[in-house]
Amino acid sequence: MAYVAVSGGEEAIEASIRLLEYYRSGTDKDLDLEVIKEKMGLLVDRVMSEAGLYSKAYAALALKQCEGSSDEAVFLLRAYRSTLKRDYETLVADTEHMRIVRRISAAFKDIPGGQILGATYDYTHRLMNFALEKEDAQGLRDRMEQMIIEQTPVQPEPCTRVSEELKKEGLIDSYEENNGQPFDITQNLLEFPASRSARLQTLSRADTGFLSGLAYSVLRGFGQVHPTVGELRSGYVQLEVPYLEEEGESLWIGEIMLTEVEVFNEADDKEQLKLACGYGAVMGRNENKAIAMAVLDHELDTEGNYPAQNEEFVLLHGDSLEMNGFISHLKLPHYVTFQSKLDAVRKTRRKEHD
Amino acid sequence: MNKRILSEILARADAQEVKNLADEIKESYSPVIVKAPEKSLAMIRLREPVKESLFYLGETVICEAIVDLDGSKGMAVLMGDEFDKVLDMAVIDAACNKGVFCRYDVLEDMQRRQKLRIEKENAVFMQTMVNFQSMDSEAIS
Repeated sequence: MAYVAVSGGEEAIEASIRLLEYYRSGTDKDLDLEVIKEKMGLLVDRVMSEAGLYSKAYAALALKQCEGSSDEAVFLLRAYRSTLKRDYETLVADTEHMRIVRRISAAFKDIPGGQILGATYDYTHRLMNFALEKEDAQGLRDRMEQMIIEQTPVQPEPCTRVSEELKKEGLIDSYEENNGQPFDITQNLLEFPASRSARLQTLSRADTGFLSGLAYSVLRGFGQVHPTVGELRSGYVQLEVPYLEEEGESLWIGEIMLTEVEVFNEADDKEQLKLACGYGAVMGRNENKAIAMAVLDHELDTEGNYPAQNEEFVLLHGDSLEMNGFISHLKLPHYVTFQSKLDAVRKTRRKEHD
Repeated sequence: MNKRILSEILARADAQEVKNLADEIKESYSPVIVKAPEKSLAMIRLREPVKESLFYLGETVICEAIVDLDGSKGMAVLMGDEFDKVLDMAVIDAACNKGVFCRYDVLEDMQRRQKLRIEKENAVFMQTMVNFQSMDSEAIS
């Protein structure tokens, strides 16, 4: 068979794109963006985190556009983000003073500021709630609003990090504030060995499943340790940018929900006199991703031959857009390369017959 | 009132409340738009507690506007894409800079209501604080 270059298919492709709408047309009910944003919050959080773009409204729109596919939504958000210029860099956001909505420690039961369970599925029975098939949405909203109105106000108090106490005792290494300019993986090609800032940015926007799988491998024995969650906290972090009309002033531009984790591990030095830490921070409420990130952050500081200890392996294979793009390209025509493979096999078979 | 507090009150406020304040200013002055509202990005910078170094978490969509009010500039930056609101915020900021803004009582009332809402929400979350019962005490230190 001769190699033949082919073209065509434009009309079929256009018809295929039009047909995507068919899959969103199975009902005459519209999917309101506010509904996605407010009732699919954890999915919205995941998409924002993996896109590296905090915008609940646009994440909801992206999810509506692609039938709820998280990797397509990440693609849409990344593509849109690339059309915008970046005018600002926020002042360093103060996560220590976040307005906490959940905070737990698996290391100590008594922590300054207390353990706050917040809203969690951890203690639910995971039984299907068929009452939600016909839910009174207005009633739910009114009930929750009434609950808030009836409260006696409690001023939010910032909680010191659990690790701070251990640093004071010298059980964890303390470092001076390093105000060096962070590496930005959206502007520069990742280089190895990667800086700490490059590592954290890459992990924070990595695919949730990829990070979870790798962290799981560490816990199952393909890694050094079984870490302890020293602190997991979720809450609102306030964002500010410099006020350009007057030096020293800043503008409050909004707040973001963030989940932050510190894990403690036995230090791998011979004396084992200190604990080693790993850190994770992700947009939104995505606890397992933040824990997995903290596990991998520490794992990458250890030496060994496990996949989770290989910086290049971990940092280059977890980006949702890149991994799905590359896998997706396998669907594109490979007629010429496949014909070449086929020819080689046929030649070999002919030689064996001869 | 410093810019951080002013911008927080306005950013947290309902767009209509901000519009009402800006409309009052527009009755006496004619603000000129220096930079029309447009979208851009802000990169979020965090400090991680392990090595105390800085890193980028990711970006957020923002909108920004700058106006001139009889020679005094005013600017506003806001997460999201509420163009009308960010323009109204810039007008209020310009009026503050010019020294002609006189509705601080309204701002203080907005701030009081916002604080109350946050504290009531916080009360709900604080009800989930665990009260451990154990035989002996175990503190961090």
